[in-house]
Amino acid sequence: MKNKRVKFTSWMICILLVSSVTLCGQEDQENVSSSEPAETRISFNALYTSNDTVVLTATVFRQKERDVIWLQNARISFSAGDGKSNGIALGKVSSDSMGNAVLTVPLNFPLPSNEEGMIQYTASFDGNQNYLPVAESFQSKPARLEVSFYEEDSVKYIRVTGTQFSRKEDIEPLSGETVNLFVPSLFRPLPIGEISLGEDGTGNMEFPMSLIGDSSGNITVIARIDEHDKFGFVKGQAQIGWAIPKHLLAQDKPSRELWTPVAPIWMIITLLIMLAGVWAHYIYAIIQLIKIKTSSKKETLPEKDWSNYS
Amino acid sequence: MKTASGRNPKKSSRREFIKKSLLTGAGVVATGGLAEAYLDTSASGSGEKVKVLTTGGEIREVDKAHLHYPRVSIKESKKGIPRRKFVMVIDLARCKNARACVQACQRGHYLPNGQEFMKVYLLQDTENTAPYWFPKPCYHCDNPLCVSVCPVGATYKRSDGIVLIDNERCIGCKFCITGCPYSTRVFAWRHYEEFDEDSQPYSPEASSPGVEGTVSKCDFCPDLIRVGKLPYCVSACPMGVIYFGDIDEDVVTNGSETFQFSQLIRDRAGYRYLEVLGTRPSVYYLPPVERQFPVDRGLDDLDEEVKARYKNTPHLKKHNL
Amino acid sequence: MANDSQPTLLREFAPQIERTNLLQLIWIFFLLAVIAVGFYALYTQIAEGHIVTGMRDNVVWGIYIVNFIFFMGISYAGALISGTLHLFRAEWRKPIIRIAEFMTIIALLIGPCYILLCIGRLDRLYYLVIHGRIQSPITWDVIAISTDIFGCLIFLYLAVLRDIAAIRDFQSIRIPNWKRTLYRIVALGYTGTPEQQERLHKATDIMAAMVISIAVIVYSVLAWIFSVTLQPGWHSTIFGPYFVIAAVFSGCGVMIVVMWLFRKIYRLEKYITRKHFVNVGVLMLVLAALFGYFTFSDYLTKWYGSEKNDELLINLLFDKYYWLFILSNYIGVLMPMLVVGLPKLRTITNITISAIVVILALWVNRYLIVVPTLESPYLPIQDSRPAWIFYNATWVEWSLTATGIAIFALLMTVGSKFIPIINVSEMEDKPVPEEELLT
Repeated sequence: MKNKRVKFTSWMICILLVSSVTLCGQEDQENVSSSEPAETRISFNALYTSNDTVVLTATVFRQKERDVIWLQNARISFSAGDGKSNGIALGKVSSDSMGNAVLTVPLNFPLPSNEEGMIQYTASFDGNQNYLPVAESFQSKPARLEVSFYEEDSVKYIRVTGTQFSRKEDIEPLSGETVNLFVPSLFRPLPIGEISLGEDGTGNMEFPMSLIGDSSGNITVIARIDEHDKFGFVKGQAQIGWAIPKHLLAQDKPSRELWTPVAPIWMIITLLIMLAGVWAHYIYAIIQLIKIKTSSKKETLPEKDWSNYS
Repeated sequence: MKTASGRNPKKSSRREFIKKSLLTGAGVVATGGLAEAYLDTSASGSGEKVKVLTTGGEIREVDKAHLHYPRVSIKESKKGIPRRKFVMVIDLARCKNARACVQACQRGHYLPNGQEFMKVYLLQDTENTAPYWFPKPCYHCDNPLCVSVCPVGATYKRSDGIVLIDNERCIGCKFCITGCPYSTRVFAWRHYEEFDEDSQPYSPEASSPGVEGTVSKCDFCPDLIRVGKLPYCVSACPMGVIYFGDIDEDVVTNGSETFQFSQLIRDRAGYRYLEVLGTRPSVYYLPPVERQFPVDRGLDDLDEEVKARYKNTPHLKKHNL
Repeated sequence: MANDSQPTLLREFAPQIERTNLLQLIWIFFLLAVIAVGFYALYTQIAEGHIVTGMRDNVVWGIYIVNFIFFMGISYAGALISGTLHLFRAEWRKPIIRIAEFMTIIALLIGPCYILLCIGRLDRLYYLVIHGRIQSPITWDVIAISTDIFGCLIFLYLAVLRDIAAIRDFQSIRIPNWKRTLYRIVALGYTGTPEQQERLHKATDIMAAMVISIAVIVYSVLAWIFSVTLQPGWHSTIFGPYFVIAAVFSGCGVMIVVMWLFRKIYRLEKYITRKHFVNVGVLMLVLAALFGYFTFSDYLTKWYGSEKNDELLINLLFDKYYWLFILSNYIGVLMPMLVVGLPKLRTITNITISAIVVILALWVNRYLIVVPTLESPYLPIQDSRPAWIFYNATWVEWSLTATGIAIFALLMTVGSKFIPIINVSEMEDKPVPEEELLT
């Protein structure tokens, strides 16, 4: 009965559909027929990695009341410069289904930075008939974090060294900055501590001995500066074998428990013994019956006539 | 996000559901297909939308909640995600019955109104102790009685600790429902329209589409874990009540805060519910100490129908709420 | 071995097999009508799903399971009674043993049908065989019930063989030819030679012993389905023996009622006498005492220890189910004891009435075991639906309960039309001397 109702409903809808297919397509579609292209926004940041590259990430989206709607397949152009003259074009990337466009650029000296060493990055979206063009810029100074490890008086330490780069291979220490340390895990990185870099741009902290790494005890330590006014995002990482080896759960042979696919042996044996005992008796009884039948074929007694006993 | 109301966004009628899916489907056909093959075009369910620019240059708006995640076969689902063992920690000090976890789970698993995998209880251990909100998913016990009593092996425990149900094997005897001391499992007493959602093949890891006459329950969302996402309830909670992670890695996160599991349990005196039963659950609770909200906040903005579900609790009876 | 009285006895019972009078026809049609309503209920359940029953997410087992336990109980009781009486070779058992044998096999065929009604996906029933898990009590029950059905069929066959042969040989009985051929085939050529008798005797003895032990084991397995779970109220160590005692108790009740009915309908006052009622009544008395003892022991332990969930369960029993509890555990125990115990009350009618009360009391007892436990789980029933907190059986379930009883009655009636309800051959046998009992 419910199927009939569904069927009827769907047929009605189909009929409506045929007569108004363009309008239907609009139900969930945005502004296709309206003349005004929609306003878009870009959120944009740059991350400096420890192998001297900068990862530019731009997310293009549209704010519709309280909903954020990402745009896919939007062509984003990246450029970098000193802020005064036109920047160098770095490349174009199309945004993915989450609206993200990512471009990794090696930091080649000389850097296109200004006197203070700041580089201006720009991400722009040219727009199309539905969406207005938009661009976003910010300035940041390239920096680098290096993670290393050492042991002193049988205590293990993590050392982080921070450097910042000016235009011409001038390297200065990243003094006075606060760096967060993480280790990666399945869903989110685990924060393990905070280091303040000293005058010489280095800082250290004790290596937490309760960390769990891979099956050999290797673990990656990540140092990060996030959302810094001057340096933006900086990240550095290194691996060390000081972590507790991860206990592997998979067993070679399947265990036999109540809840495993294979039953405990004693259960199987008990069941077999009981069934064998019972069915042995059944078979005995059936054999007796069969023998009754066969014996009746051998001896044929005369059929009794009860008519005399009325 | 229509959270605290406890309304199931799927209150849209059956016709609406079918109408929307047919309409959007037709729209897709008219515009020459989607750029991303795995996007579900059935509507209903509020939440964030994703704009998709099709090859024809048109923009489609799709509900993010219905982004499809890849599904593994039934045979593959019997093997766990390698080298992992999952654990959940629920912080009772923060829970205020926002029911966002319930909503997200209902949406993500296409559950009808009448089946809930995540339930929120208003527990009060004794007369003199304070009541508290108690979200209860399946505990994926390490000694699962439900798995022991299944006569056909429809429910099984994997190497990563997750207990799943194969609804193509289940005969619906309901022994597992009586076997679970936490009243976790639910039964499909009839066919629901939501069970017709067959845009993706059935997988025990997704527990959808549902099957009439079989048992189902919270599955810790292995299909999301495989693509690096946290389960629906974890991501949805506005208070960050639910933490999830790998106990062997000793890290749990609620999406924004990440802790070492052992440290969290040690510092906050975590425990397991009804430990004495010997089921060895994989869900730990942090006691409701220094609560951030008064308990009655959880009754505000509730739908009448949802509020009625708590009318037998001692707290409501005592205060005539 | 024939003696002079054989044709007379069989001649006397022949009309039962030959004719079906009007009253009996009305009775059969009434039963068929009840069954027809039941089929409609079954169709409703299959078409619309289990939502038409009163079962919901907490009380997932309702009166279908209660009926299952009840009918299996009657069956095992029949097996125990007929097996034991057979082995003891008591003279007084002869007229009533056939009723016990019928009860065994008929209830055994009906009982598992109630499990089928409770299963959500009947189209996957064979998974129980090809995917069966040995660790599951339901698999134990499947193995146990199928073994038991086979065993009881063999036992019944051995028990009726001689009567079938007697009817086959009885020329002047007026039955249609197809029936005659049927008897000839089924009789397996039994002609009563000493060798055949010896074989039959040995086989029946072995099967009687087997049937007793199987009945005990199988019903314990059914009890363990409940007691191995953690549900408060079910997780009791006493359940195995408790269920067996309750089963035989209910079986006595049913047996007395059936005896009374057959005695009235077929006018067997000469053969089924007051002595038989009293003897079975005494068995019922003893079992009532045992049943009362086990029940008291179970509830005393729970109540005294007052563990939280036991207390919740007992409060529920004495609050919502008060009168049912009294009926089942007080009236059901005391009434048969008084009626059979006091010589003044020891009449056939009284014993039969108390047997009816016993049947009701035991059905209610099974209900009080299954349902209140599910209504008082460890986690209180919240964030569910208020309508699901208590169980209310629907018309579908009641109708199918009535159908089960109707099928039981119908098969008893039909069975008595093929095989004399009194074991003719045994009645003819010479009584076994005292010294040879139990050899």
